[in-house]
Amino acid sequence: MAHIADALKDKGNTAFRNGEYLDAEELYTQAIQKYSRNPLIFTNRANARLKLQKWDAAVNDCLKSIDLTASGQNHKAFYFLAQAQLALNHPHEALSSALTAYDQVRSPAPSTRTSPKDLETFSAFVLKCKKAKFAVRDRERLRRQGDLRAELEETLERAKKVELDHVTRSLDAMRLGNVEAKEQSEEIFATYDGKRAELRKVFELADPTHHKPREVPDHLVDMITFEPMHDPVITKMGHSYERATIYEHLKRSPTDPLTRDPLTINDLRPNFGLKAACDEFWEGGASEWILDW
Amino acid sequence: MAGMSTKRLQKELVKIQGALPPGISLVSAPDLREWQMDISVLDNPLYSPTDKFRLRFMFSASYPIEAPEVVFMMVSSPERKIPIHPHIYSNGIICLDLLDSQGWSPVHNVESVCISLQSMLASNTKDERPPGDAEFVKMNRQRPRDINFLFHDNKV
Repeated sequence: MAHIADALKDKGNTAFRNGEYLDAEELYTQAIQKYSRNPLIFTNRANARLKLQKWDAAVNDCLKSIDLTASGQNHKAFYFLAQAQLALNHPHEALSSALTAYDQVRSPAPSTRTSPKDLETFSAFVLKCKKAKFAVRDRERLRRQGDLRAELEETLERAKKVELDHVTRSLDAMRLGNVEAKEQSEEIFATYDGKRAELRKVFELADPTHHKPREVPDHLVDMITFEPMHDPVITKMGHSYERATIYEHLKRSPTDPLTRDPLTINDLRPNFGLKAACDEFWEGGASEWILDW
Repeated sequence: MAGMSTKRLQKELVKIQGALPPGISLVSAPDLREWQMDISVLDNPLYSPTDKFRLRFMFSASYPIEAPEVVFMMVSSPERKIPIHPHIYSNGIICLDLLDSQGWSPVHNVESVCISLQSMLASNTKDERPPGDAEFVKMNRQRPRDINFLFHDNKV
């Protein structure tokens, strides 16, 4: 039965590449009915379901796939899981899945196939989850203070969710194609990001002491992406960079970005102290705020 | 993934809109693909301090891992000429190691490139175009990033 399943999976992959996600999902489902012990079919179906915005179903597929992988090394499943969890507004779980995916591509088990872009992609996603988690905690903190901004932001969140659910339902009922659904969702996200930014701006102007956004200190920021670091590595010259971005640079030019001295990936060492400081920025900062009141 | 350029350029733009060194100004940044900057040279008799020179930056999705493409532009109104310099061709193409894939480093940014070009003009002592300028301008159909410059002269 396994070879029939593989044939169906290949057909599913072709449909996926052509953007026919509903067909792909259906073919993977048929493949699973023939043979249900192959974790790859589950990760592929999860990916199709992510495109179809079927978040819960995607979560189940990822968990099944991870369950079937004896070695535990299944970075794709963890990455898809993180995406679905974030979409479901569970940034805490999403971060933990994203970090697992990241760790697994950073030091892959022997004979694991990873794509050269994975580290960069996963690294960026870890950061996205951290920000989402931080935003939720910040709002929670404000809400407990009976803050008007938090209440308004939650109202916006709810309105956004209603609109997004509407898109998902239209997609399910096939009143909308994938491309349109994706465009509409992106537009909804952009609109609400804009509204939230405006709202925050108003509150910041009205009451700077309580609503000023916290700035990330320079020493925690990667000099290449200008984003906060989460896995900093240090060069021979003593400068620290985010691992994924300095790897990307060294692939093209094996030199220290600041001094131009020769530099390779093997010369890099993790900077544990700085990593602790980065973690503290995300963790400690929020709890300090909660302690404030 | 859209590449890392988006976030990075958004942040650079916020910073640039805040403050820039004297003689450097942002002209336009309609999107995150192409920006225009003006620079002027304040202390070199070869250039009038009131003359401004227009720079066009073009970014790929892999910026800042990949260098931006930077050229001087001719504009009629307001008047922007191509500065005379032995490393700047009269079509605006610049021969500077910093902008070549070998010399580029991702810690550079739009502001630091402007400062480098400003100081390259400020330290210039020769009122001339690169050797073979007319020929190069007539023949060249390559984009700046595809040209293999030889950086033989570090004095100018």
